[in-house]
Amino acid sequence: MLAYTLRRLWQFVPTLAGVILLVFFLFNWIGGDPAYLLAGKISNPETIANIRRQLGVDEPYAVQLWIFLKQVLSGNFGASWSTNERVSEIFATRLGPSLTVLVPLLMISTLLGMAAAMLVAYLRGSLTDRAVMVACTVGQSISILVYILVFQYVFAYQLGWFPVQGWGVTFADNLLRYSALAIIVGIAVSLAPDIRLYRTFFLDEINQDYVRTARAKGMSEARVMWVHVLRNAAIPIVTNVLLQLPGLLAGAFLIERFFGIPGIGREVILAVERSDFPIIKAVTIYVAVATMVFNLLADLLYKAIDPRVVLK
Amino acid sequence: MRLAARLLALVALMAAQAALAQPESKILRVTFQAAETGFDPARVHDYYSGMIIEAIYDTLLTYDYLARPAKLVPNAAAALPEVSADGRTYTFRIRKGISFADDPAFKGRKRELTAQDFAYSIRRFYDPKNRSPYAFLFTGKIIGLDELAARAKAGAKFDYDAPVAGLQTPDPYTLVVRLKQPDVNFDYVLAFPLTAGVAREVIEAYGEESPSHPVGSGAFLLKRYVRSSKIVLARNPSYRGKTWDFDPGDNARFKQIAERMHGKRLPAIDGVEISIMEETQSRWLAFQRAETDIEYQLWEVAPTYMTDDGRLKPEFVRRGIQLDRTVDPEVIYLFFNMQDKVGDAPNPVGGFGRERIALRRAIAMSYNVDDQIRIIRKGQAVRAQYPIPPGVTGNDPRYTSVIPYDPRAANALLDRYGYKKGPDGYRRQPNGEALVIRYTSTPTERDRQFDELTKRSLDSIGIHMEIQKERFPEYLKAQKQCRVMMGHQAWIADYPDGDNFMQLLYGANIHESNNACYDSPEFNKRYERSRQLHPGPERDRLYHEMTRLMETETAWLLTDSRVRNSLQQPWVVGFTKHPVLHAEWLYLDLEPKPAY
Repeated sequence: MLAYTLRRLWQFVPTLAGVILLVFFLFNWIGGDPAYLLAGKISNPETIANIRRQLGVDEPYAVQLWIFLKQVLSGNFGASWSTNERVSEIFATRLGPSLTVLVPLLMISTLLGMAAAMLVAYLRGSLTDRAVMVACTVGQSISILVYILVFQYVFAYQLGWFPVQGWGVTFADNLLRYSALAIIVGIAVSLAPDIRLYRTFFLDEINQDYVRTARAKGMSEARVMWVHVLRNAAIPIVTNVLLQLPGLLAGAFLIERFFGIPGIGREVILAVERSDFPIIKAVTIYVAVATMVFNLLADLLYKAIDPRVVLK
Repeated sequence: MRLAARLLALVALMAAQAALAQPESKILRVTFQAAETGFDPARVHDYYSGMIIEAIYDTLLTYDYLARPAKLVPNAAAALPEVSADGRTYTFRIRKGISFADDPAFKGRKRELTAQDFAYSIRRFYDPKNRSPYAFLFTGKIIGLDELAARAKAGAKFDYDAPVAGLQTPDPYTLVVRLKQPDVNFDYVLAFPLTAGVAREVIEAYGEESPSHPVGSGAFLLKRYVRSSKIVLARNPSYRGKTWDFDPGDNARFKQIAERMHGKRLPAIDGVEISIMEETQSRWLAFQRAETDIEYQLWEVAPTYMTDDGRLKPEFVRRGIQLDRTVDPEVIYLFFNMQDKVGDAPNPVGGFGRERIALRRAIAMSYNVDDQIRIIRKGQAVRAQYPIPPGVTGNDPRYTSVIPYDPRAANALLDRYGYKKGPDGYRRQPNGEALVIRYTSTPTERDRQFDELTKRSLDSIGIHMEIQKERFPEYLKAQKQCRVMMGHQAWIADYPDGDNFMQLLYGANIHESNNACYDSPEFNKRYERSRQLHPGPERDRLYHEMTRLMETETAWLLTDSRVRNSLQQPWVVGFTKHPVLHAEWLYLDLEPKPAY
C-alpha cells in the first residue's frame, strides 16, 4: 500500500508539470493582455509598458514560467491584479461560503440519491422504477439555469419562503436563511443523475451471487439490501462523490452568482472576466492537485472498504 | 403543545415591543450589478467602487444635486477656486474644521482634512506603483509632477516629499496648483470622486491593504465589507453635515423633491447596504420583494415594468413604485479605422480619399440605429445625433446628423464610386480587389446581437463582412494599436464637459482614446483652439464645425445613449439620478415602510 501510494505521488509530478505548461500557454496565447484592462479608459503606450513591467508580463516566457513554477511550489500566488488582495486571502475568505453551501448539498443529495436509487433498483422493472427513470431523464435534461430561475421565482419571490439572494454575518444565518434555497436547487440538479448512476451500482450488486445466496439462506430483504447490497454499492458511490469534490468547489459559480454567495466559484468567474491571472492560476492548480489527491484517496478507500481489491 | 404556542406568542410579543421601542434605522438597500475592485481612490478600476469612494471621501468640489446641466459647487473647498488671469494657476481654500473618520492609523487623535491631503492624493496618481487607471486626469498637466513620475519609472522610489513647483500648500488650508497649459476643465477634475483627499498615514499604515480600508471625511464610513458580496456603510459621526437647499428650477419632479427634502440635515439616512448582484433576475425579484430600495438599471426587463412610451405600468404605479428616467451622459458609436493600413495590411475603410469616404458613408447609411434601439436596447436608449450627449456642457440638442438611414441611397453611392458587385453578389473595391470588412467585437451575448445587426446592414449593401472575436483586453489593445477596422464603442462622461467627448477624435490621442485613429488636420486645428476657450458660443461653434467635419469624413456613426431607469420603492424620498455624481445617497431620505 505504501509503495503504491508513493508511486502514485511520484506520478503527480509529470501530471502537474503538464497542467502548469497548459495553463501558462493558454493564458499567454488566448488570455489577453491584462495591462490594457488595468490601464483604464485613457492610457498611453508608456502607461501600458509600466503596468506590464509591474505585472511581470514583459519578461521572457521562460522567466515567467519559472516564476509560475516557484509560485506553485511555494503555494504563494501573489496578489490579485485587479484588487490587490492576496490570493491566499481570497481562498481563505471565499472557502467558508462555498463550503456552507456545498457540504450540506453534497451530503443531502448523496443520501437522498442513494435511498431513491436503492428503492428503484429493488423495484426494478416496476411502474415506480420506470416513472422515476423517466423523471430522472427529464430532470437531467433541464439546464441548471432553468432550475435556478424557476426555484428563485417560485420559492423566493412567489412564496417568499427564502430571501431572493444575500449573505449574512453569522454561520447559522447563512446556512439556514441564505444558503437554503441554493442547497435545494443544488440537490434538485444533482438528484436525477445521481439516482440514475447509483441505481446501476445497486443493480450490479443485486444481481451478484452473494445476494442470491443470502436470500437462499432465508435472510430478510431488508437485511440483504441495507447490509449487503448497500455496503458493496457504497464503494463506487463514495468514489464518485470524492471525484466530484474538487470540481464542485470552483464549479458552483452559477449558484453562487444567482444567490449572491461570496464563494470561490463566483471569484473564479470574476477573475476570468478581469483576466486576473494570479487567481486563475491558483484555482487551476488547486483543481488539478485536488483531483489527483482525491483520485488517490478514492483508490485507497476502495482498498480499505473492500480488502479483495488489489492495488497495482 | 399549548405551552409551546404560548411561549412562541410571548417571544413574538417581546420582539414586537422591542421593535416599537427602537426607532427603525434608515438603511438604504441598493445593489451593484458588478463587483467592486476596492476603495483606494488612486487605484480604483470601476464605476461601482467610485460610488463607495464618493460616499466615504470628500472632494474639493462637487455638483449641485438638481442643477442641469451639471453645475460645480464647493465641497471641501470653501469656495470655487480662484483662477489666475492666464488660466494656469488654481488656488483652493479648504474649509476649516473638516475631520476624517476615526481610525487606528490616527492613533487616537482627531485628524483634520487639510490642503496637504489633497496634494498627497494628487501625487498618488503620478506614482507608477499605484498603476492608477485615472492617471490621465492629471498626466502632463501639473508643473513638475511628470518629471517626478519619470524618475520613479526609471527605478527610483516615488518621492512624495520632493518639492514640486506646480503643487504647493503655503498653509494647511490653501492648495495652489500650477498647470503647464491653461485647462478650462481642471476644476471638473477636482470634482471627480477619485481625486478626494486621503490621509497619508492611513495609506502608509494599510499599505497594499489600503483598497479595503478607506478612511475619509465624507458622509459615510465603511462598517462591514465582504468583498464582491456586501458593502455596508454607516453614517460618519465625524461628518460636518449639510443642509438640503437645492434650487429645483422649473422641473416639476425636482420641485416635488425639493418640497419634501428642503431644510433636512444631511445625511438623512443612517447607512447604506449594498449587495453585489450580477444577475438581472435576482435584482428584479429582490426589488419586487422589497428586499432592495433602489434599482439603478434593469433595462433587460424594462418591458416587464414599463409601457412603450416610457411610463411605469399601472400595477407598479398602484404599488407606489417610483421611476426616475434619465439619459446617461454617454455616446455609443460605430467607428471606422481611419488609418491607411490595419497592421501591415491595407485598410479598405481607411484614408481620406473620396471613394473611401463614400464607402464609410454607405456603411453608416446602411446601419439601422432604430433597430439597435428597439431590439438590442429594448427601447431603453435615445438616438445620438451629436458627439456630446445631453446633460453635458456643449451638447447641441438642435443638431441633426447628416447621415440618414437609407440603404438604397447607400447602394447608389457605392455604385457611383465604383464598388461593383462581383459574381458572388458582394461588392469589390474600385481597383477590382476583393472587399472584406472586418468587424471586431467581444464574445458576449450582447455583442453577438451587434454582430448580427451590423452583418445584416452590410449585407443589405452587398458588402462582405467578417466578424473577428477578441476577448475584452485584446479588443482594447487592438483599438489602441489601431488594429480594429470597424467596431462599436461607448464613452461615458468623466466630467460633464464636451471636451471629454471631443478629445476622442483628436489626432494626438491616437493610441490613447482615439480608437478611430482619426487624424484630420482641420479637426485638430479646431480642437486645439477649443481647448483654449471656456464654454460658450465660440466653443460651441467650433464643436459644431468639428462634428460636421467628422460626419463628412465619416469616422464615426453616432448611434445612441442609453436611458437609465432607476426604480425606487415608495418610501424612498428625494432620489433622482444625477448625470455625473456616482452616488446620490447623501441627498435622499427614507420614510417608514408600511407594515405588510
